[in-house]
Amino acid sequence: MTALFTFEGATLGYGKHVVLRDLSFEIREGDYLGLVGPNGSGKTTVLRAMLGINPPLSGTVRRAAGVRFGYVPQRDQLNQSYPLSVADVVRMGRAPRGLWNRGSREDRAAADRALDQVGLTALAGRRLTNLSGGEKQRMLLARALVSDPTVLVLDEPTNGMDLGATTQILTLVKDLREQRRLTVVFVSHALNEVANAVERIALVVDGRFRLGTIREILTAETLGGMYGITVDVEHIGGRHVVMPHPGGSRFDNADPRTRGGKSAIA
Amino acid sequence: MRIPEREAASRRLLERLLLFRDALMGSLIIAVTCSILGVYVVLRRIVFVGAALAQLSSAGVALALFLSGATLTQGLGRHPTELALALTLGGVLFLAFESPRSLVPRDAAIGIAYTVAGAAGILLVSKAAVGEAHDILIHGSILGITPGDIRVLLGAALPVLVLQLVFSRQVLFVSFDPETARTLGYRVRLWDLAFFGTLGLAIAASMQYAGVLLVFDYLVVPAVTALLLARTMSGAIALSVLAAVVATIAGFLLSVTYDLPTAPAIASCSGALAIIVWVIRSRWR
Repeated sequence: MTALFTFEGATLGYGKHVVLRDLSFEIREGDYLGLVGPNGSGKTTVLRAMLGINPPLSGTVRRAAGVRFGYVPQRDQLNQSYPLSVADVVRMGRAPRGLWNRGSREDRAAADRALDQVGLTALAGRRLTNLSGGEKQRMLLARALVSDPTVLVLDEPTNGMDLGATTQILTLVKDLREQRRLTVVFVSHALNEVANAVERIALVVDGRFRLGTIREILTAETLGGMYGITVDVEHIGGRHVVMPHPGGSRFDNADPRTRGGKSAIA
Repeated sequence: MRIPEREAASRRLLERLLLFRDALMGSLIIAVTCSILGVYVVLRRIVFVGAALAQLSSAGVALALFLSGATLTQGLGRHPTELALALTLGGVLFLAFESPRSLVPRDAAIGIAYTVAGAAGILLVSKAAVGEAHDILIHGSILGITPGDIRVLLGAALPVLVLQLVFSRQVLFVSFDPETARTLGYRVRLWDLAFFGTLGLAIAASMQYAGVLLVFDYLVVPAVTALLLARTMSGAIALSVLAAVVATIAGFLLSVTYDLPTAPAIASCSGALAIIVWVIRSRWR
């Protein structure tokens, strides 16, 4: 399958501050990749490099021609003070076509289709402030779909949601991926949740990076090494469960970024 | 009051208003320009960027008042708007763009700019040759607006109107969700620069007439009033303009009738309107 994104010896960071060193990996067409790690581990840095917002400090990040992003940001970042309706927000997702374009009938039709796909048609006129977390997330998904993306990138889409809303979002993403043949990158800190949704996992912990299939990543050795804790991993009926041992964490005073050396790819 | 007396009083009021028609016209242009931008100033939570830019702009006017007293720099002193614009645009470059790795947090930088510009303004006017320099700095000189000043104010209003009316889609998306806008190919920095550039221009052009107090009021209060009621962005902008226009006319009438300083009278009307709307909105909820 075609590589949509190729990281080659990419060192990522901001200014002089290095977050991740020497990353080399590919995201291929049709991938369902989970980018997993604790808050502040560098997931967003990888994401921003992929989206082209932050170029690498050294090395290269190549994007295949024709890639169109559907980006779903963290919903907590939305400023709810804006007097906008669900339909207003979804229509924003249509990529700009010329400076003078003010939105056509076709744009509105695309927004209506996207709202329908995420089951929000009835709430199109509702104000942002009157939406639940799950509704907001579906609205952002609809906005990402409006410009007919090839790659869907979701940043912590289930963060702070209850079990029901989380399941709804994960099912919706799975269905959309199948219907639209999307490549999906799912960023989250919730390993158990992501492990049961995606096909490959990239772990980013304390400046270290490791990518592989579910079976390669979800082992007690790999997770224990990356997180610095003792864990059990069970595979039950096709489901994966990661269980940390109570009291199984090991604190040390060493800088975690110097512990693991270079990034590794399973 | 009997009917003939009331008619005579109304005629006198109208005559006095007509006497200050250039001032009223100028104030309305400032009101419309600042209240449109104010909606974004409030929504983007950059109210104190507006305050710091207004203070920098007033330092530019103070510099002009100071320079007009010295023989060598008298020429420069005749260009308060240009000096205000230079300092404000400098402030835009310094304050508008947040760097996550900056050594000084942005709110601290805003505080520094506000304090230093305020202090510099006071020091400069204390040594200015113009006697009423301090009043000009705080309250402006609205009643002194001339037809030439109106042309300057219209010139500053035009880019604001073009940006907000013609490119409303881009300005809205980039301010609401810059990161997603960037992934879709919007040139976020360029649109931000256009927004802050027009904000700086509007503040600098208005400052010597309206003063710090009224410019800051126009940038915040009508927008807050509007956002209490509006259900859409275009509604918010229209209501903000309406609130600013109503406050300006009411303040002018109060000022002319009771011989009050104009800028504080307008700002008070603006505040009163916001409180009335807030009370009604709280009960209506």
